[in-house]
Amino acid sequence: MAEKIEYRGHLHDLQKDLMNDYFDQMTRSAQGEGSPAVYLLISGNPVELLRAFDLLPVYPEINALQTAVKKQALPFIQKAEELGYSTDNCAYVKADIGLFYSGNKAPMATVPPPGLLLTNYVGCNVYLHWWEHLAELTGAPIFDIDIPFLRSLDGEPSREDLQYVVRQLEELIPVLEKISGKKYDPDRLREVVQYSLETGEYWAKIKMMPQLKPAPYDAYFDAVTMMGPLYALRGTKEGRDYFRAAYEELQKRVALQEGPLPEEKYRLVIEGPPPWPYLRTFRDMFARWGAVFVASSYSTVGGLWEFGFRHDPSNPIESIAMHMLKWNLTNRNFLQRYAQLKSYVEDWNADGLVIHSVKSCRLFSAGQGDMREYFARELNVPTLLVESDLEDQRYFSPAQMRTRIDAFMESLEHHKLVGHQR
Amino acid sequence: MRYFAGVDVGSTQTKAVLVDEAGDMVAKVLVDTGSNVVKAAERAFLEAVAQAGTRREDVDYIVGTGYGRFNVTFGNDQVTEISCHAKGIAHVNPNVRTVIDIGGQDAKAIKIDATGDVKDFVMNDKCAAGTGRFLGNSAEVLNLSLDEIGPRSLEAKVPVRLSTVCTVFVETDILSHLALGRSVENILGGVHSAVAARVVALARRVGIERDVALTGGVSRNVGMVRALEHHLDVPIYVSPDAHFMGALGAALFARERAMAVAG
Ligand code: SF4
Repeated sequence: MAEKIEYRGHLHDLQKDLMNDYFDQMTRSAQGEGSPAVYLLISGNPVELLRAFDLLPVYPEINALQTAVKKQALPFIQKAEELGYSTDNCAYVKADIGLFYSGNKAPMATVPPPGLLLTNYVGCNVYLHWWEHLAELTGAPIFDIDIPFLRSLDGEPSREDLQYVVRQLEELIPVLEKISGKKYDPDRLREVVQYSLETGEYWAKIKMMPQLKPAPYDAYFDAVTMMGPLYALRGTKEGRDYFRAAYEELQKRVALQEGPLPEEKYRLVIEGPPPWPYLRTFRDMFARWGAVFVASSYSTVGGLWEFGFRHDPSNPIESIAMHMLKWNLTNRNFLQRYAQLKSYVEDWNADGLVIHSVKSCRLFSAGQGDMREYFARELNVPTLLVESDLEDQRYFSPAQMRTRIDAFMESLEHHKLVGHQR
Repeated sequence: MRYFAGVDVGSTQTKAVLVDEAGDMVAKVLVDTGSNVVKAAERAFLEAVAQAGTRREDVDYIVGTGYGRFNVTFGNDQVTEISCHAKGIAHVNPNVRTVIDIGGQDAKAIKIDATGDVKDFVMNDKCAAGTGRFLGNSAEVLNLSLDEIGPRSLEAKVPVRLSTVCTVFVETDILSHLALGRSVENILGGVHSAVAARVVALARRVGIERDVALTGGVSRNVGMVRALEHHLDVPIYVSPDAHFMGALGAALFARERAMAVAG
């Protein structure tokens, strides 16, 4: 059985440094220095607009997950439950509200109060209520960007949809001028969007690399490392440089045919967010079988670069609008979500699909039972559905999880041994 | 003669099986798991060795399975109960395509082929409704033994409809039915039907393909077998050794692996 040695490279260390810097900026902002903070959400985030005004993007989802990775989210969740939030509420929301009531002191930073609550409403309606609660608590103004769900079968937004979003982004500009005290400078926005374009180029190439055998990195466990800079630093020079460095490092690994584990025995695709508090445990459960994730849908909640999206400096606002409308997972319909996973299984040459269903997130979990059936029965792809949570460690039961994963891997092993082909 | 052992450590009971070189079962032992899981595994194994009239040294390979599989500290290897139940049942009846296994705290449905290869499986998550525990709690409130409830449920004329699927709340539900003067038989009919409905809903997720077998501790409960047949509308195959399928499968894996090692 494969040993539990994982790939840890420069891109992991650099990520840590950059994110620490970013968290320091948050703390400084909380102390009244540096840039004012604007809260926004991960899905299809229009962070470029904030960067063009030198505003500091703050993602409560990142704060929540970082707290969970450090296994420190539970007291915040319980605090929110004491206040009346139901056990069934999204645990990101609870961790965030609990954090607010604990003086905004997260393990990695002091979270600054919002100058603006920007609701990029892409897919999840919890967003709206979450930001309303924050507005109530902090007194900060809200600006809602309403993103129409993709309703056509081909998944193309209509011209009206696009105009509708562009108009809202244009209306956002004077609001950002007021908060930042800076005049809107189209050249500056173009420069920011150029960085995002280059970042996206590198990221897309990185996401294609695991089509090779062996995959040079784990497209779930290592990809989530790169997701921090993708959101927190996109549109900056540091962000672009990070992705260039990551790309170059991974290129070398491709040349050396190095994978994240000593031996790549199984190639898997995974759907759903990770169980952050048990990330390590979860990873080891696959690593001991020599299983590597070659693609993950979760790493596309912020954008679908590997399927063709690019920011456009010659048309910055429209490209931001298209990002929000068309090019991120959470605004897509089920057929598109199925097609994405199917492409991962086929084009990334995977042996099976793992669906990690998350109890507190309806956006992701709704429909995953049907998804399992579609892949297992109609496409004959070995599929495993496991359940826990992305934030609340009480829903992760290691023994149960391990039994399911082991049973799934045993059957994959058997398939390999007897040479079963799909 | 060389022997191969499977030890299935479940939440309530631990089973051990020995097979010979031909794969025939030569010993089967059942003990209560109790609080010392390692001891229970060892005891079951040693009793099986004694039952086979052999010595420990003659057992070439031991595979642990079940939730306590990592507690079979004297074993060579672990295999999950899903793979083991599939292997065991395919050995005793190669026509089986769907295995329903109901244990003390879990229920699972496994889809297999004639060789016992697992095609798909689902398990209950974080809820004991639809498991042996639900039946156990119900028996307890009614002051009956586990062996009694199955046969008596068959005498139900108008099974009650339980208002809960919760293993804890079922107790108060049963008490209220008793207070309304419902017969014990009718209540038991309702209890078995409730568990069957849960399990069938689970099994439908892998797709029901005939033949269908029931394994695990609850397979000894004739009321449960009938209730499942009723809900599924297909006959259910129950091996006389259904309770030992996990341990048998583990022993067969042990035999296979020992032979592979020997070349
Ligand atoms: S429900 Fe899911 S998508 Fe919505 S805010 Fe919570 S974690 Fe995010």
